[in-house]
Amino acid sequence: MGDKNDVWQGTLALMVLKTLEVLGPLHGYGIARRIEQTSGDLLSVNYGTLYPALLKLEQEGYIASEWGVSENNRRAKFYKLTRAGRQQVVREAREWEQTTAILAKFLAAPEESA
Amino acid sequence: MNWMLVSAQRLRGLLGKGARDRELSVELESHLQMHFEDNLRAGMSPEEARRNALIKLGGIEQTKESVRDRRGIPLLETLLRDLRFALRVLRKNPGFTFVVVFTLALSIGANTAIFSVLESQLWRPLPFPDSERLVDAHVVLRANPRQWDVLPSSVYRAWHEQSHSFANLGAYDYPTARNFTAAGTSERVEVMPVTSGLFDTLEVPLEHGRAFLREEDTTGRDRVAILSHALWQTRFASDATVVGKSVTIDGQPYTIVGIASPHLRFEYIREPAIYIPLLMDPAAKVLRNTYVIARLAPGVNSDRARVELDGLLQRQLQADGARQEDVASVTNLRETWTDFAARPLYFFAGAVLLVLLIACVNNAGLLLARGLARQREFALRATLGAGRAALIRQSLAESLLLSLVGGAAGTIIGIWGSRAFALFWSEDALPRTSATYLDVRVLLFVVGVSIASALLMGIVPALLSSRVDVSDALRKGTSGLSASPGQHKTRNTLVAVEVSLALVLLFGAGLFLSSFTRLEQAPRGFDAPGALTFQISLRGENYAKHEQQQRYFDSLAEQLRLLPGIREVTLGSGLPLTGSTGVFANVNVAGRPPKREHGTYVTIHAVTPNYFQALHMHLLAGRTFDPHDAPGSARVAILNRNAAAELLGREDPLGKVLEFVAQPRRGEPAEPSVQVVGLVENAQEFGPDEVPQEDLYVPFAQRPLPSAYTLITSDVPRGALVGAIRNVAYSVDKDQPLFDVKTMDDRIGESLRGARFNLILVACLAVVALALVSVGIFGTVAYFVERRTQEFGIRLALGATPARILRHAVSRTLIVGAAGLLFGVMASLILGRILRSALYLVPHEHTGMLYGVKIYDPISMSLACALLLAVLFLASLAPARRAMRVDPIVALRYE
Repeated sequence: MGDKNDVWQGTLALMVLKTLEVLGPLHGYGIARRIEQTSGDLLSVNYGTLYPALLKLEQEGYIASEWGVSENNRRAKFYKLTRAGRQQVVREAREWEQTTAILAKFLAAPEESA
Repeated sequence: MNWMLVSAQRLRGLLGKGARDRELSVELESHLQMHFEDNLRAGMSPEEARRNALIKLGGIEQTKESVRDRRGIPLLETLLRDLRFALRVLRKNPGFTFVVVFTLALSIGANTAIFSVLESQLWRPLPFPDSERLVDAHVVLRANPRQWDVLPSSVYRAWHEQSHSFANLGAYDYPTARNFTAAGTSERVEVMPVTSGLFDTLEVPLEHGRAFLREEDTTGRDRVAILSHALWQTRFASDATVVGKSVTIDGQPYTIVGIASPHLRFEYIREPAIYIPLLMDPAAKVLRNTYVIARLAPGVNSDRARVELDGLLQRQLQADGARQEDVASVTNLRETWTDFAARPLYFFAGAVLLVLLIACVNNAGLLLARGLARQREFALRATLGAGRAALIRQSLAESLLLSLVGGAAGTIIGIWGSRAFALFWSEDALPRTSATYLDVRVLLFVVGVSIASALLMGIVPALLSSRVDVSDALRKGTSGLSASPGQHKTRNTLVAVEVSLALVLLFGAGLFLSSFTRLEQAPRGFDAPGALTFQISLRGENYAKHEQQQRYFDSLAEQLRLLPGIREVTLGSGLPLTGSTGVFANVNVAGRPPKREHGTYVTIHAVTPNYFQALHMHLLAGRTFDPHDAPGSARVAILNRNAAAELLGREDPLGKVLEFVAQPRRGEPAEPSVQVVGLVENAQEFGPDEVPQEDLYVPFAQRPLPSAYTLITSDVPRGALVGAIRNVAYSVDKDQPLFDVKTMDDRIGESLRGARFNLILVACLAVVALALVSVGIFGTVAYFVERRTQEFGIRLALGATPARILRHAVSRTLIVGAAGLLFGVMASLILGRILRSALYLVPHEHTGMLYGVKIYDPISMSLACALLLAVLFLASLAPARRAMRVDPIVALRYE
């Protein structure tokens, strides 16, 4: 849980929430695979960092977990979005869009002084 | 916000650990399986599929660990784990643990004791509602703001009537003992004159009845009294109907108008038993011994109040045509009342802090040595995966445990110590009667000091010993390890710092010692070995008049002279070292412009003719009194050297006439002028370190007083004499008890009591410092020798003489010690310069602690250096001798 991962952790949390919003209840492995696929395999999720992030979201009350059976009949822990989680997705997504929009403006600005 | 939710979840995470761990294992296992199956489907071989899944997960155990960290409160958990481990380690080293805990307990205890004294004596608010808004308003000399001046009564009236800075303003006089008679029995009680506004200012309303009225501060209307709650309980059995009844104070009838609240306590002055109106006679020019208390109005600070009062003061002085030599001063009441004790207390606080620092430095040295000895253990833990941070944390946990145990033991020592301190410090030196007790602030202090000490002593050793070279440490084992240059340097620095801190304390102790010897040898101005003294304050209706008082003391002296074995019997309204027991007056030399606006302040001592002879006081010029100086004859006086110098400079005082400044407020007619007939040497009134006093002696016959001391020199042993005296006194009047029965030698001892206590305390601290330093040096050298046993063996085998080895071992310590001494000398001199005004007696001020010594006192300094060097030498000699006796064969086989 080093400080270096803070940004990454933040975006990871949003990705997890968004994944659960789109796909509904899902286990940890499924979440990780889905994120990798969605990113077009540009991202590689270290699964080791995923579980602390899931626990953090659960402690914050954005997701809840329960034991269930996976598609190939394996006992697995399924995570699903709570009501607070749904609001959080909207909020975080908006913030993220703002940030990227601002950054995009900066990057698009003509280099005046150069 | 949701951090509360998270914290609650995490706290819950601390519980039910086993079940959660199992759950996590199952979850991760299913994750791996899913991944494994996917990989197989993607066409990997089973081994490859498993390997890839494991790598991707980043290791099951690591993942579990990071989830666990997230689950509970990792810091708390690891701290508890570290502390548990530290406890095991320390239990295995009882000797080391005892030394560290013991020294910490002593020094934290000393600090706790002083802190609780500071807290209860200086910092705790006064026992009045919102007491920090109370201020003392007074005037000080413009030329020397440290010296208070008397308050002109016109200025008091201007302040009282015209100022807007205060919610209320009142004044009081110091309580004095007076004869109180009610229902036929009389006793001496403390009577305090107060203005009508005082109770309102303090905001402590009366229990019954009313406060004084504004108009009751004038002569004729002032025969009203308010009883303290305690007196009302003991003398009147809490009977509320006493309000309106009459009592007698010094033969005058007073009507009780009120009963004070049981919560009215001053703590700072003798608690009064009766309050009477403070007379504000319009004819009185100055208010002597009157103190003004005011409560700041909301939103006004003391600076603004001071500006306003100063404006009123200057305007009034101008209107009165008086010299504008004063300025107004407004100070926090608590600080004003406790100010005189603050300096010594802060000084002691500094001294005990120094001891704590030495103990910490000492323990840092011990911890460092142990850290070195445990390098193999640290290396092993590093190979097993402990990061450097974990090693540092573990070391700090050990110091924390040590200092917390030390702090707990120190609290007990502190409670005991603060009581002992309050008990042994002279009562007069303690500003308040409030008890010292353990409160939350003291406990917080102990915890804070313990943690600070843990960091102070633990941080350097922890940093150094965590820097282990794993392979080197494991290969060579402990004995082959040599300390790194950094560690040597650190150990030497620690020793040097310890020595310099100890030097500061030792030098301080030396200053106190030489100050004390000077105090003891200071000329007292009198000499009456073995003389017995006692005080009688006449009470009752029979002694209201001067003639009656005169008659009583005449016959008492006469009867006493008839006792067998008596050599001399003399009387005086005060004696040397009985404190300010005289009557005060302001005088001017007749025919000269007054030196000060309201005259020169002198203490009047009424004495019998043989007074100077009995006390062996040195007559410098003129004559002493004789029986011809009777009530009817010319008024005469004798000045002490101080008074003559103050009034007349170098002029011959004999034959000069002194006029008294009228003080109608005291209800006495202006005193007739006196002619100076003699000049005597100063005699101490309080003690050798007193502010010089201006004394005026007058014949007792010309100015009798109701209260006087008797001094008797005789060949009779003290025990028998006291009994005989008592019989004589009771035969003259059985209702007049003897007070304050002491020999002059007792009084000399008492006058040095405060200084002796200071000396003992500082000396004790210096001894503790020396003991700590010697333990530290002993440990360092012993360790140094043990590390190098092998080297010494080789040297001896190669032909070095044992003496050479010894010299080598000892000289290293002495070089380091000498560096420490040098540093300490500089630190002492700098500190001495900074603290000069607080430590050294300043003329006309009573605040210093050191008498007649210089901040550079070379004797104290060289003694302190010599003593420390001797301790350094002795403490390093014993372990160094072991180096000398190393058997080369054994040493070489040591590994």
